[in-house]
Amino acid sequence: MADLALLQSNPIADLLNNTEWGFAVAECFHIVFFAVAIGTIMMVDLRLLRLAFPRTTCSKLLQDTWVYTLIGLAVTVLAGMALFLSDPRMYYFSPWFRFKAIALLLAILYNYTVHDKVASSSPSPGVGVVVGAISVLLWISVVTGGLFVGLLA
Amino acid sequence: MSLYSVFESIQTTGLMTDVEQTPWVYPIIMATHLSCIAVFGGMILMSDLRLLGLALRDQTIAEVIGGLRLFKRIGFVIIVTCGLLMAGSEAPTYYPNPYFWTKMTLLLLVGVHALIFKPTVYDHPEELDKAPMIPTRAKAAAVLSLILWVSIPVCGRLIGYYEPNEGKAHQTATHR
Repeated sequence: MADLALLQSNPIADLLNNTEWGFAVAECFHIVFFAVAIGTIMMVDLRLLRLAFPRTTCSKLLQDTWVYTLIGLAVTVLAGMALFLSDPRMYYFSPWFRFKAIALLLAILYNYTVHDKVASSSPSPGVGVVVGAISVLLWISVVTGGLFVGLLA
Repeated sequence: MSLYSVFESIQTTGLMTDVEQTPWVYPIIMATHLSCIAVFGGMILMSDLRLLGLALRDQTIAEVIGGLRLFKRIGFVIIVTCGLLMAGSEAPTYYPNPYFWTKMTLLLLVGVHALIFKPTVYDHPEELDKAPMIPTRAKAAAVLSLILWVSIPVCGRLIGYYEPNEGKAHQTATHR
């Protein structure tokens, strides 16, 4: 808990809490780049679920989108860390924040292991549907967790 | 009847009262609204980047536009429905909020954008693929769409920061 008290006062917290637009700008980056990351992941998921892009392969779609996914996730996580540092105590004790953090960790791990491995191969329809559906559920859990952090703070 | 009293009447309808007063309904609607913005907003961004020739260049424009069209439409309907339910359940609170009105104006401009560019760009993506270079009208449609669709969620988020008494954005713990 002493570490948390130390974290509570930091330059990023000063910037976000003591400027009129600091927190809002960080949140906007967090939201817009998260949309970029999830939107690109979801395009691959739609192909895995056989709902879109029938004339292309999952592997090709992954090759075309991975860089945008990575940029989206990197900015989202950086902006998210800044938001966390604005009030570490509140976030640390929020059960929804913990839910979101775990869901995010699982979603990222899943994305860069199972999801990418399956999408890079030529998955059977059944495997593709299961892997795509799990990905959609994981990312929606992250969004929902993040929303409830704010609503129930 | 003033516009404000119309907003008050909307809030007192049975559906809006239910949304406001039933536990978990508002947060669930908001979660759906934001999830769909994340999922479908990302798809809109990628479609626009393809029109600009900046992403998905191995896919034809027709494949990207056509492949995502249905999902973007479904997403738009869900986002707007959830948005209307949220705004309606707190209509008088939204009335003085400049970010709410900016967001509504931007949504209106999305309609104008569709009226202008749907017949010439989005309804004939295969013609864009046949052209030696992506036509300027398609790039203009993409740039305007990007500006609109980045501004809309930003304004949506800023709605929560508006303090009517101060008339400006103000950050409090309840906004997080």
